[in-house]
Amino acid sequence: MSTDVVIRSTRAPARRTPPLAAGAGPYRLALRRLRRDRVALAFGALFLVIVAACLAAPLYARDVAHTGPNDNHVTDVVRVGGARRDVVSPEGIPIGPTWHGRFLLGADQNGRDIAVRLLYGGRNSLEVGFIATAITMLVATLAGGVAGYRRGASDAVLSRLFDLIWAYPAVLLGVALGTSLALGGLNLGLFTLSGRSLLVPALIIGFVYIPYVARPVRSQVLSLREREFVDAARLQGLGDMRILASEILPNLASTLIVFVPLMLANAILLEAGLSYLGAGIQPPNPSWGTMIGDGIQLLPTALHMTLVPGAMLVLAVLGINVLGDGVRDALDPHAPTRLPH
Amino acid sequence: MWKTARIAGAAALSCAAVGGVAACGSSSSGSTAVKEGGTATVLMGTAPDYLDPQEGYTTQSAEATWISYTPLLTYRHASGSQGTQLIPGLAKALPAVSKDGRTYTLTLRPNLVFSNGKPVRASDFKATIERAIKLNWGGKSFFTNYIEGASAFDSGKSDTISGIQADDATGRITIHLTEPYGAFANVLAFPAAGITPAGTAQRNLSNDPPPGVGPYTIKDVSPNRTFSLVKNPRFAGLNIPDIPTGHLDRIKVDITSNTQSEAEQVLQDQADAFDAGDTLPPSLLPQIESKAQGRFAREPVPSTFYFFMNTRTKPFDNPLARQAVEYALDRRAFVRLASGFLKPECYFLPEGIAGHPTGSCPYGSRDGAPDLAKAKQLVKEAGLDGTPVTVWGETRSPRQQYVEYYTSVLNKIGFKATPKIVSDSVYFPTIGNAASNPQTGFADWIQDFPNPSDFYLLMDARTIQPTNNENFSMVDDPHVQGELTRLNGVPATRLDSVAGDWRSLDEYTAKKAYVAVYGSEEVPKFLSNRIDFGSAVFHPLYLNDWSTWQLKK
Repeated sequence: MSTDVVIRSTRAPARRTPPLAAGAGPYRLALRRLRRDRVALAFGALFLVIVAACLAAPLYARDVAHTGPNDNHVTDVVRVGGARRDVVSPEGIPIGPTWHGRFLLGADQNGRDIAVRLLYGGRNSLEVGFIATAITMLVATLAGGVAGYRRGASDAVLSRLFDLIWAYPAVLLGVALGTSLALGGLNLGLFTLSGRSLLVPALIIGFVYIPYVARPVRSQVLSLREREFVDAARLQGLGDMRILASEILPNLASTLIVFVPLMLANAILLEAGLSYLGAGIQPPNPSWGTMIGDGIQLLPTALHMTLVPGAMLVLAVLGINVLGDGVRDALDPHAPTRLPH
Repeated sequence: MWKTARIAGAAALSCAAVGGVAACGSSSSGSTAVKEGGTATVLMGTAPDYLDPQEGYTTQSAEATWISYTPLLTYRHASGSQGTQLIPGLAKALPAVSKDGRTYTLTLRPNLVFSNGKPVRASDFKATIERAIKLNWGGKSFFTNYIEGASAFDSGKSDTISGIQADDATGRITIHLTEPYGAFANVLAFPAAGITPAGTAQRNLSNDPPPGVGPYTIKDVSPNRTFSLVKNPRFAGLNIPDIPTGHLDRIKVDITSNTQSEAEQVLQDQADAFDAGDTLPPSLLPQIESKAQGRFAREPVPSTFYFFMNTRTKPFDNPLARQAVEYALDRRAFVRLASGFLKPECYFLPEGIAGHPTGSCPYGSRDGAPDLAKAKQLVKEAGLDGTPVTVWGETRSPRQQYVEYYTSVLNKIGFKATPKIVSDSVYFPTIGNAASNPQTGFADWIQDFPNPSDFYLLMDARTIQPTNNENFSMVDDPHVQGELTRLNGVPATRLDSVAGDWRSLDEYTAKKAYVAVYGSEEVPKFLSNRIDFGSAVFHPLYLNDWSTWQLKK
């Protein structure tokens, strides 16, 4: 069941509001406020470090671990502290962290290097998260904007569509779509996608979250279209599209900016959930979700298989969420905003 | 085994005669003091599909129905290869088979009674087979394909199976086949052929199973939660040789979907058996191996785990590509992926099945390092470097891990392989559909009965079909067909006489590299400290033989 949750900052507001500098725009002011929010910046930096590490995955795999993310080493032996150890024991238990270049964070059941898969998995998880967020924001802004601005039949149809998607729990809808598309892919005439493409989970996640952004956008546009500056534009003879682009959209921007980190965090979490359930990124491609799924089976004997990707997921999502909270405070330091959770 | 049971029975009788207390209900199995009677609790991770013998077709079902519904023929209650030996069940002797292999004649033992006291008649056998067909038993094609008139009965064109004649006066049963089928004696030993009274309702009676002839009767069924096997007091008086009369008074089976908790309860002696049809959680294995010494073992099950290679599609239409795969597979890796529950193999017929070759592998090694250089060279030689290959697999662990490893191997030797993992429930129908045209992927076969013909069904060109195909490698080899036609007709009772021919055929198909076999499955025999592990038979077909279990004193 989806519920609206009032998200308020738990941190104290900025101690002093700086005097309005002549000519300083709202975004400049927001940036100034954000710069003072050290906690948000620290977590933002943490997220950036994770992104950078994930982007460097091929370098790490080639120069440090000397193995690819899908290379199996089931019967290999590795030297740790002078002793030879099986990468996977005859009972099927993978080696734990060696704290050396090879198998730094241990191996999985197939003898694959966890550290390499963690970084490649992060690339996949983040890529899906960013693409899904872009799809959600783009479609939701368009659909919510049109519904709110045109009202009438367009609003009725689009709102019912949002209700329809909203009626299904996001995870269940994602699993249903992911499972069916994973086998046959997506074939829409000119547009075809293989079931293994990263775009499949990205499209699914982007789709299921559309109402979560579109509905608040629609509400805000309904209110904005009645404002005097919109009437003025209409009297000047501007067309609907022009009004939407030049008058409404700029006034929606702060709302949309606040939504981006929230949707990114949600998208990464849903991707992990879908991949864990086998409906997201397809094996053997790693993602933090598939890695957690692989590790669950060996939880008591190979804790590192679950702990490492789980910790990475928590840190990444925490980083985005705290940064997002800071951005929200910076853009609108006083008013609470109703956001879907 | 039979000897132990008789000793136990004699001990009980003498105890009753002298009215003693101390020795009552106790006997000895090897060095362990055991007692008669008592209750054992079995935990099952997967519920039996049915508890009605004419509907059940899973190991979980067979474990219960095998000892509650004895067919005309059955298997010796023994571990290992001895357990695959056909013995007379309710029939007096093994069947007399006509020279043309198309007529089987058996005679019912005299004075048999069902668990409800009703006498068993020859016509009950005919009614049992008709009931299995009417209830759409999963293996009914074993009857409808071979028994004269069974197909017409199935389609409703006939009210009875014309090919079965039963004489209640003499107990004589004659079965006419449409063509010689050597494994037919094995078909008669299916638990689904376990005799139930004529007139039994033609509907699923899993909740209140019908009477049968066996050491136990199934009682107190609560679907998907629990059921019990209670000792049948009438069975011991039937004096059927080689079939144990049972030691425990009751075997209570609880269905639990959590195999982790299932294993922990047995480890801590809170329950008596982990069902062998379930997979032991790998995370608990080290603990079980250290704490449950003497009551845990890995037991082989005649089965073949392999990768099919479609001989009609690139690249595996080229024998060099198939040989390359055989050279590249490191079979030791699969043993580790299976947490040790796999025995490395390279021949299609597994150990325990007549004709199983024991020689070295034609390509690669059974349990040594792979020859990747040779494999790469073969792929290059065939001009198949960089050929895209889709490797099909299912989500179930460790099968997905097998496929991921196999994919990695294919990539190492020069192919451009990607796995396609689909849900367990749709996997075999998907790869068995001609539209999927799978190049290669996971497959396995666990015996229906201990006969090589049961395995070679998978390489029989006649079984290639557009849907539900089982010959995934699309093997259509005239030599194989000729041998199958000849060997499939040899009665199971004379299987040993053609074991060498089956071996030659298996060596031939291994040389052709139609499939890449990597192992044979092992399953856990894991009991509590209360059960005498040594005397508890682990049967190669029906796994834990509850009728041999005894509680320690």
